[in-house]
Amino acid sequence: MAKFVVIGERIHCISPAIKKAMDTKDPAPILKRADEQLKAGATYLDLNIGPAETGGEALMEWGVKLLQENFDNVPIALDTANRKAIEAGIRVYNRSKGKPIVNSADAGDRIGNIDLAADNDAIAIALCSAEGVPGSVEERQGYCMTMLERGLEHGMEAEDLWFDPLFLVIKGMQDKQSEVLETIRWFAEQGFNSTGGLSNVSNGAPKHIRPILDSTMVAMAIQAGLTSAIVNPCDDRLREAIKSADIIKNETLYADSYLEI
Amino acid sequence: MAFKKPTPKPGSAINEVTLGVGANAITLGGESVLPFYSFDGTIPNSPKIGIEVSDLGFENAVPGIAELYAGTSTPAEAAAKAAAVPGVDFVCLRFESADPNGQNRSAEDCAVTAKAVSDALGDSKPLVIIGCKNNEKDAQVFDKAAAALEGKNILFVASKEENYKTVAASVGLAYNQKVGAESSVDINLAKQLNVLITQMGVDGKNIVMNVGQAAAGYGFEYVYSTIDRIKAAAQNQNDTTLQMPIFTPVSSETWGVKEATASAEDMPGWGDVEARGVSMEIQTAVSVLSAGSNAVMLRHPKSIEAVSALITALA
Repeated sequence: MAKFVVIGERIHCISPAIKKAMDTKDPAPILKRADEQLKAGATYLDLNIGPAETGGEALMEWGVKLLQENFDNVPIALDTANRKAIEAGIRVYNRSKGKPIVNSADAGDRIGNIDLAADNDAIAIALCSAEGVPGSVEERQGYCMTMLERGLEHGMEAEDLWFDPLFLVIKGMQDKQSEVLETIRWFAEQGFNSTGGLSNVSNGAPKHIRPILDSTMVAMAIQAGLTSAIVNPCDDRLREAIKSADIIKNETLYADSYLEI
Repeated sequence: MAFKKPTPKPGSAINEVTLGVGANAITLGGESVLPFYSFDGTIPNSPKIGIEVSDLGFENAVPGIAELYAGTSTPAEAAAKAAAVPGVDFVCLRFESADPNGQNRSAEDCAVTAKAVSDALGDSKPLVIIGCKNNEKDAQVFDKAAAALEGKNILFVASKEENYKTVAASVGLAYNQKVGAESSVDINLAKQLNVLITQMGVDGKNIVMNVGQAAAGYGFEYVYSTIDRIKAAAQNQNDTTLQMPIFTPVSSETWGVKEATASAEDMPGWGDVEARGVSMEIQTAVSVLSAGSNAVMLRHPKSIEAVSALITALA
């Protein structure tokens, strides 16, 4: 067991400010968001450059170097559909603070990303779906085993596959939330690491409601056995829930100032 | 699937903290393995032994201690004798005279004594300064002594929940000495105090902890489990707020309990009082060292000899 791993999601090309910074190779907005997330307790930073069909390799290399040079070789999740860009990022990646994460593979078209992670001694986020939303816990388990076998065949350690149960939006898929938690519990029983885009659950909810749903979901998921999540660490309510869960699970020793460290 | 032998993950290292300067410098901590488990990894610095010197001398001292200090009339002379005892790594000067309920010597006078003791020790052994257990007075004494000994890299014991703001500001920040963070058998407070002192701006690598002490048999199991849990957090959970080496002032506890003080006349079945005191001191010291303490304070030359021999044999 170990402390919950927070992967900071805020360097994402869907944000207009980050998109512009990536297009113009302007470090300032990216460094600012990285700094905020690390100060708020992120362990990994997700670097999402989108599909990046043109110029993806150069952009990922630039982003990885920028973040690692400015933040003591911070470990990074390389997030793009462009495989060559992920490989380019790993080539310039410094592993002293942790392996790179390939974000992401699935049991469908993107299963080759497990091979990519294996070939580069990286961690792979393994999304338990092939196409669309999986219909049941059993279906997710099937995808999980397919990806596990693939990874082991290619020489990966099981601990380097971080299985993603596929968090779903509450508005519209309320009845699926328990399935997600059950899947996480099953991962934990197998001893697997897990992660996922947790803030999906609150998509479409009013701004003041989202932190409440996210922090409750993270607490429930951690109790079910979730070991990591891709989240906004600057959301105070969420940050407090994660730190408190680490205390309650005895992953870190309590001190009155635990929220400040 | 072929069997793969699991390899244990190496633990995180305890901070290395140097006391003293130049020829008299010693280093505490640095290990990333369980106490004395040198077969599991490196222990760069073996546990260290400090000898306790009181600025008032020891009242009713047993013969072995009385003989050691015979003929000395000042703390500086006593400290020089103490430093020469075989097995001693550092000298702990306790300002008993500062106690407002006792002699109530001024902080300025204590600082003069501290300087004289430091000069007498010279390059032989580093100095650790210990207060009179009055939080307010200790803060004053430490401030003056830290100023008088600037540049000597002295450890001051202790900075507590009640006085850490003044002690850490003066000892740690103004005079750049080493801060001893003291809590009483409370793992959460031990961590909290380190957090608070570092939030003031003191580098965590300039802190040594005293996490509480007791004589063996006097609630000692709580001391043991406190040290054990702190080392587990520091090494296995990589908790940087608890990676400070631990100093345990054993002798100030063990020489006060009845096993070490009741006379042979009062307790005819117990045997010689000096032998009992030494035994109590050795047993307690060995126990805290096996729990993970990086340094102990002892009083009797025979205890120092025995504990030193044990450390040498196991290192």
